[in-house]
Amino acid sequence: MRCIFSIRAVFAIALCMGATPAAAQVEMTFDKRPSIKVGDLLTADIRFKSQLDFREFPDEPGTDFKPLVDLHRTRIGVEGRLIKGLEYQVEGELGDASQPWRDVYIQTRSFRSLQVRAGQFKIPFSIDQLTSGMDLDFNYRSLAAAYLAPGRDVGVMVFGRFFSEALRYQAGVFKRGGDNVRESERTDAQADRTYAGRVVVRPWNGFDNVFRTLSAGVAFTSGVLPAGPNGVRGKTVPGDAFFEHLFVDGHRQRMAGEFQWRPGPVGLQGEYIRVRDQRFGQGIDNQDLPDAYSRGWYATGTWLLTGERKRDSVEPKRPFLRGGVGAIEIAARLERLAAWNDSVNDGTFSSPRSPWVMPRADDVWTAGVNWYWNEYVKLQANIIRERRSADGRVIDGQDDLWSQTFRVQLGF
Amino acid sequence: MTSRTLPPRIVAILFATVCCVWSTHLVAQSQPPVDALLDGSSLEDLWVHVNAQDWEDLHTHFEENTYYPADVEWRGIRVRNAAIRVRGVASRNGHKPSFRIDLNRYVTGQTFFGLDALTLDSSWQDPSMITNRLSMLLFRRMGIAAPRVAHVRLFAGAGREYVGVYAVTEEVTPSFLRTNFGEDTGNLYEFNHLQNDHWGFQDPGPPLGWYVPRFTPKTHDFDSVAALYTPIRDLVQRINDAPQSDLESRLNGYLDINTFITELAIQNFVAQGDGIVGGVGANNFYLYRFAGKTLSVLIPWDQGNAFGTPDLLPSYNMDTNVLTAKIWNEPTYRSRYLGTLLQIAELVSRDGFLLAEAQRDYQQIRDAVYVDAFAPYPLTQFEQMHVTVQQFIRTRPDIVRQYVASLVQQ
Repeated sequence: MRCIFSIRAVFAIALCMGATPAAAQVEMTFDKRPSIKVGDLLTADIRFKSQLDFREFPDEPGTDFKPLVDLHRTRIGVEGRLIKGLEYQVEGELGDASQPWRDVYIQTRSFRSLQVRAGQFKIPFSIDQLTSGMDLDFNYRSLAAAYLAPGRDVGVMVFGRFFSEALRYQAGVFKRGGDNVRESERTDAQADRTYAGRVVVRPWNGFDNVFRTLSAGVAFTSGVLPAGPNGVRGKTVPGDAFFEHLFVDGHRQRMAGEFQWRPGPVGLQGEYIRVRDQRFGQGIDNQDLPDAYSRGWYATGTWLLTGERKRDSVEPKRPFLRGGVGAIEIAARLERLAAWNDSVNDGTFSSPRSPWVMPRADDVWTAGVNWYWNEYVKLQANIIRERRSADGRVIDGQDDLWSQTFRVQLGF
Repeated sequence: MTSRTLPPRIVAILFATVCCVWSTHLVAQSQPPVDALLDGSSLEDLWVHVNAQDWEDLHTHFEENTYYPADVEWRGIRVRNAAIRVRGVASRNGHKPSFRIDLNRYVTGQTFFGLDALTLDSSWQDPSMITNRLSMLLFRRMGIAAPRVAHVRLFAGAGREYVGVYAVTEEVTPSFLRTNFGEDTGNLYEFNHLQNDHWGFQDPGPPLGWYVPRFTPKTHDFDSVAALYTPIRDLVQRINDAPQSDLESRLNGYLDINTFITELAIQNFVAQGDGIVGGVGANNFYLYRFAGKTLSVLIPWDQGNAFGTPDLLPSYNMDTNVLTAKIWNEPTYRSRYLGTLLQIAELVSRDGFLLAEAQRDYQQIRDAVYVDAFAPYPLTQFEQMHVTVQQFIRTRPDIVRQYVASLVQQ
């Protein structure tokens, strides 16, 4: 947190330095969003993101109550350029009083083959996790991206692109293991670092053929795990704990493979993530325990029925209420989140210090409709079906769980 | 007629099945009954296998109720997948904490030789370490369902470090209910005494919210507030509304007045200062409402604050509790109460069982206490308190008899 405050202080000083001599050159515009330009020193685009969810989850005994209406995201931020050679972004979540800051970083922009970013931002791992929450094809990220990817942290990253963007890379070092981990990891002091890297190839990017948008990539992270009940958290779609809270100590290593293809209005995307946690000295009798594994994958297909080209941010050809119906997209996703290890069941099947990790899996499919009114407003409706199993058998009462979610999204 | 022989595969399966059943039978036979742990006939060794970091956390974060995984070993038999946490209210400490071992936390339905849970009491507030056990023995001898208590030498961690003498107590759980009432499907609540509450069954009014922090459901804990607490409110209102002359019939089907009087008499005989008529209001009991009935019963818990003041009047604090005041003020019920006191005095003095138990307990734990590096009291205080307890048992019956006689003369 102290580091974040330092970054904020740097921003404040930089903004003051730039604003004073250029006060006479201030230019304000409102194209797609409010923007301020201060000569050649500074640009600032005001960003706003809001998502209001209506959801109905299965009634499961022993789980927390979930309100029907959820203000899922209310973010405000500013992004732009600073003294030509730098770009920045500051974004905060108004609904999160304890940890309000999201992306707070500054990066170079001069050499696209070698850029440097510093601050708090997403660790480069998982295409689904790296996709903006406003550009998701579904109400919720895949379980794999939501719970196995590391999320944000404070760090430094180099990134760039080569060969007409046919090759992209990201590599960074981060203070901790990301905020998308167990609560204890977010609050406990962590001394050790996490390293991460991601390479994505898009071999036909420079060609004008149907494979131009086809990309594939791999990613990894490696970091030190603090001793304690800090095993990977796995949750169900409604957000209830699904994995045991395993005690771990050692290293956490993640591997991921991804692909994406967007031929015209159709979008195909898939990802596989595997996480390995070491458990040195974590047995009941202080003995080393076999590594614990978590795995997740998904495959997604989308189709813009109104014919727009599939991109991260879909812009309707004929916006709703302006002579058109907007853009309508149907989407489907099949996914699995699982935990296991290579040990054998010795009878200690449920303890968080058990050598054997009881295999658990949540198999989910999601069907959805996205209605893009215009570039600012999107409505999303999802129907989600879960089937959860443990030790190879479907858990009683959890073989056919249905959730329905509806989102109203506004952003610029 | 042709003779038929079973195929070899079938024979093998049958043989394996017989072996399996027989070995299960042998294992069941070789397991000692839990009575051997709880009857106090010997000082048993109990070994809690727990990770070194967790053991440290249990002491440094003793204010928290965090569970840690543990295995429990007794007489060479290790029960796995248990969970341990620190327990207690006023006695919570990080030097020699008391523990709760939950056998169901990680495995539903698992038991430790038939018990759902155990408490390991460090006797933080009782230098003699035996007063709770003696109280519970008296309850049970008088026919009241009360937890069994015995002493153990507790060992912890992979290195089997000796961590002192503890009182192992059968917790009031469904297994306790099955053993004592033959059923476990009713509603069980643990009473939580709130600071500065001084509640003695007074009617707090219609809102059920008053009962929620005071009565923690131990069964049916997912039931609605109305389902859980309306019957308790009804019971309290009946106690308050019933005229003292007609207490028995008005409480009929809700609370057995004779059982309550027996419990009250035992607590006052042993001068339990933190029970139904304790100095801070009612405390240290569970409430069980039988399945499908309105009838409830109080189950005593943690009676360690006893055997200290032999001259405490058996009428002490009777006016601070709505129900005990009605009992005391109505001649019929006062007579029953005094009669029960005499019955207890006769039981204690006639066969000397309580004194024998106190002396045996002292001999049983003395050597282990002397090498208990975590004992909360100096050894001189341990010795002095045992003298006090034994003196109490010797003198209390006559004090009670004289008190009852003086009341009869009046």
